[in-house]
Amino acid sequence: MIEFRGVNKWFGALHVLKDITLSIEPREVVVICGPSGSGKSTLIRCVNGLETTKDGDLIVDGQRVGDPATNMTDLRAEIGFVFQSFNLYPHKTALENVTLAPIHVRKIARSTAEAAGRELLARVGLADKFNAYPSELSGGQQQRVAIARCLCMRPKIMLFDEPTSALDPEMISEVLDVMVSVAEEGMTMMVVTHEMGFARKVAQRVVFMDAGGIVESGTPEDFFSHPKTDRSRAFLSKILRH
Amino acid sequence: MIWQQFQGLIGSYPLALRGLGMTVALSLISLVLGTLIGFALGIVRTGSNQLISRVIGAWVDLIRGTPFLVQIFLIFFILPELGIELDAFTAGIIALSNLAACFICEIVAAGIRAVPNGQVEAALASGLSRRQRIQQVVLPQAMRMSLPPLVGQYVLLIKDSSVVSAIGLTDLTRVGWLVVQRVPNGLLVFAIVGVGYFIVCYPLILLARKLERRMGTAHGEVQL
Amino acid sequence: MLENFSFRTIAEYLPLFGHGFLATLWLSVVSFAGALAVGIVLCAMNLQRSRLSKVPAKIYIDAIRATPLLAQLYFLYFGLPRLGIVLPELVVGILALSLNSGAYIAEIIRAGILSIARGQVEAGIASGMTYMQRMRLVVLPQAFRVTIPPLLGQAIVLVKDSALLSLISVSELTRAGQLLASDRFMPAEGFITTAACYLILYYGLKGLAALSGRWLGSQPMRSRT
Repeated sequence: MIEFRGVNKWFGALHVLKDITLSIEPREVVVICGPSGSGKSTLIRCVNGLETTKDGDLIVDGQRVGDPATNMTDLRAEIGFVFQSFNLYPHKTALENVTLAPIHVRKIARSTAEAAGRELLARVGLADKFNAYPSELSGGQQQRVAIARCLCMRPKIMLFDEPTSALDPEMISEVLDVMVSVAEEGMTMMVVTHEMGFARKVAQRVVFMDAGGIVESGTPEDFFSHPKTDRSRAFLSKILRH
Repeated sequence: MIWQQFQGLIGSYPLALRGLGMTVALSLISLVLGTLIGFALGIVRTGSNQLISRVIGAWVDLIRGTPFLVQIFLIFFILPELGIELDAFTAGIIALSNLAACFICEIVAAGIRAVPNGQVEAALASGLSRRQRIQQVVLPQAMRMSLPPLVGQYVLLIKDSSVVSAIGLTDLTRVGWLVVQRVPNGLLVFAIVGVGYFIVCYPLILLARKLERRMGTAHGEVQL
Repeated sequence: MLENFSFRTIAEYLPLFGHGFLATLWLSVVSFAGALAVGIVLCAMNLQRSRLSKVPAKIYIDAIRATPLLAQLYFLYFGLPRLGIVLPELVVGILALSLNSGAYIAEIIRAGILSIARGQVEAGIASGMTYMQRMRLVVLPQAFRVTIPPLLGQAIVLVKDSALLSLISVSELTRAGQLLASDRFMPAEGFITTAACYLILYYGLKGLAALSGRWLGSQPMRSRT
């Protein structure tokens, strides 16, 4: 579904992605973790072309990202992306946020899109917030709207870029619960997060990155109980301590 | 003598109305034209075409760097030499619309640039086309940010319209100038002219302040 | 007629433009100094608690902002003699520019002072400073850097506004253009040269603004965002 083959990327002189090779199967849930600055956000942003890659191949849903022949707008419509900072449209209500892309990109009738949007917002526990503006919602609620916004496009893949990092602690679980339910429905997911509880629960694989490269990857069970490298051990001891 | 002056002023009442009408007509037409052109220029200015963006930037700089009076003289005296016949009213409209367009272009461009990058990324990520991104996501937010400075700019432009009296257009200021030749009381005459502008401009100033306050400045006013 | 644009005539009138350029420059400097004085007084009045000092300042600022400079200029030009005050045109012009720009500068300074975070004032209060000490030691040094860019913007506006003085026969840049236009019937030569001279002043001030921005940015205390 998503395949990196020898992908490299530089920011100026900084080599931020080093020879990444990674393959994600349909219905697979992969958690990417690693210290800050390890390139994990950059990696996930490459998948829908928010970042461009320098060399190597990146094939998503059978199409080559960055190839002039690939219509990125069409490809992005198939990929949901959840941002750390939510990025809800502040001038639109929760329901309008959810239905904007279905109406304009998928060309679905407004009434159909709104029905689907209401259903999804209800599913993420926001049945009473259809007409609320983002500024009237808590962080956790905003992030759930953002997830519903992606789901309303009926995407084939969902990408999550540190979806709970900007949240107050008491709001993290409400967002994770929604993500777990999405995973359990068989969505292909790539999730950058440090929430190891989430990884244990639904991830098939954990990928550990450091300094722009993939250091190790394995099942959550293996990774947490028997980390193979010093760097992953050091990382785990830091995040599990608190 | 005061009584005579008063009668003189009463007698100028129709002229004053005409002047006010001219100021309002000139401002209204120019502001509508200037806003439309300014928005278009602002969108193109922030677009991907570097060359067009530079050309617009250079033109805006030329207009912002020279006095409006000089611009009016240039348009009024030079366009006829290029074979374009125009009366003072048309010259005034052209000059004022151009001025409005340039300032509004910069306001709109600043508003567009102030829309957070994450908003564009969110729109990109959900597959919106460039046109849809601008229409649905960027412009509505840019508009909201541009509104207070836009209203403030309208006040400046209405006041700038007084400068067209220099090419003989009978606007409110010109009427004051004409009346003061007959009724030699400059304080009174131009105080009344001032009241005329005040009635038009002050509500807009209050509106701009209200909009600015409603934008919710992040930090409250400081009690010193 | 534009095909025989006469650089020779412009060269002939160059001394006049040079004189006009200098006149515009120095009358702008004098007016800006006056405007700063007016602005500081108005702002100080506006920041007081007493309505007696606040209300007149507010009325003055609003009256200036809601009426055109040209009407204000004519108000003084035709009105002062009525009060028995007869001044040269140049002085009337500088007075009008100072009184006009002063109102805008008052608002710029006020915005600069009010932009200082409340925590800064509270820190001053907490360490036992008096009102004047807080102003002098905490608020004004920070407000100063916030107001520099908009003050330079106002200086640009003032230079351009000074063109209106030509309408009461003050001999400055625009007047020089008018003279060339009417003496030789060469409006293109006259007003294009005038515009070019203003552009020199404009880019000069703009460069100064950029420099000051860089200078303020390089200071240890970064200005607030």
